[in-house]
Amino acid sequence: MLLSLALWIQATAFFTYLRGSTYSYPSILSLHMVFLACFGGMIVMTDLRLLGFAMRKRSAADVIEQLRIPKRIGLLFMVTLGFLLFACKAEEYYYNIFFRLKLIFLTLVFLHLLLFRRGVLDEVPQLDTTKRLPGRVRLTAYLSLLLWTGVAICGRGIGYIEVPWGIHAKLPDSILALRAFYR
Amino acid sequence: MLIENPLNSSIYAFPVLECFHIVGFTLSVGTIALVDLRLLGIGMNHQTPAELADDMRFWTMGGLTLMLVSGLLLFSSDPDMYYLNMAFVLKMVFLVTGIIFNYTLRQKAVLPGASPGLGKLAACISLFLWSGVLFGGIYIGFIMEGLSFSNL
Repeated sequence: MLLSLALWIQATAFFTYLRGSTYSYPSILSLHMVFLACFGGMIVMTDLRLLGFAMRKRSAADVIEQLRIPKRIGLLFMVTLGFLLFACKAEEYYYNIFFRLKLIFLTLVFLHLLLFRRGVLDEVPQLDTTKRLPGRVRLTAYLSLLLWTGVAICGRGIGYIEVPWGIHAKLPDSILALRAFYR
Repeated sequence: MLIENPLNSSIYAFPVLECFHIVGFTLSVGTIALVDLRLLGIGMNHQTPAELADDMRFWTMGGLTLMLVSGLLLFSSDPDMYYLNMAFVLKMVFLVTGIIFNYTLRQKAVLPGASPGLGKLAACISLFLWSGVLFGGIYIGFIMEGLSFSNL
């Protein structure tokens, strides 16, 4: 089901063109890196502020508030560019263990936001006068750093997995037929 | 070769170093970009560019150090290949220009009395230079796999 979706998307005219074009894939990947630096930098600095390591002269709530919109825009670009990269080679990515792990980490990031946003991050303004933010706020920041580092490491890992195309010889006929159909 | 580079004796050394390299450039380029975006009026506008640059200084320097140390180690794994790789050479040009620019002209552009127009120009140049570094880094791998600039 997911595999046939992957086969379909990479067979669309647009992604067939992108895959065949010499400079598209590396250029999209490079842009993904540019946004990684900008967007990742914002996340890291927010977390470092919550931990009390960076921007101590500024209020933590103010740092979170100012970066909220830029971070959303950054995420939008990251996801869009990431999707383009995925869809060019959807079948390879489907089998790629690091791609699967990356999706798991991204799911955990989303859960992290759901769990900690209302309970912890929204109360930062009231806590800001304290010299050191409470343990639960710092835990949230540590978890965020950990999960996003996981996303980045898995992203790098994707490139290291050579899909052993030979395994397709052992795939069930139904999947081989699907591949042939979408080619 | 008389002495084998220990980096090449483990298949994990290179990818692990690359992860440190990624953390390093996220910190350095990320913090530089935050100040550039501020100069362009995007993002952390409650601080002056000078205040923000001051907040970021330590982290930019730390990120640059991590990036350069891990980068040198990565380079040492196969220096001849990198030397002959056009993307690597271009990346180094962008990197050296970027670092010099960051600690000279852009440092002046964030000062309190600096003209906002010049600040915006400096921010654009800075973002361009560091994007060049990142593009170069990605293209190194694709040139290794046979991509050539000659038919551009």
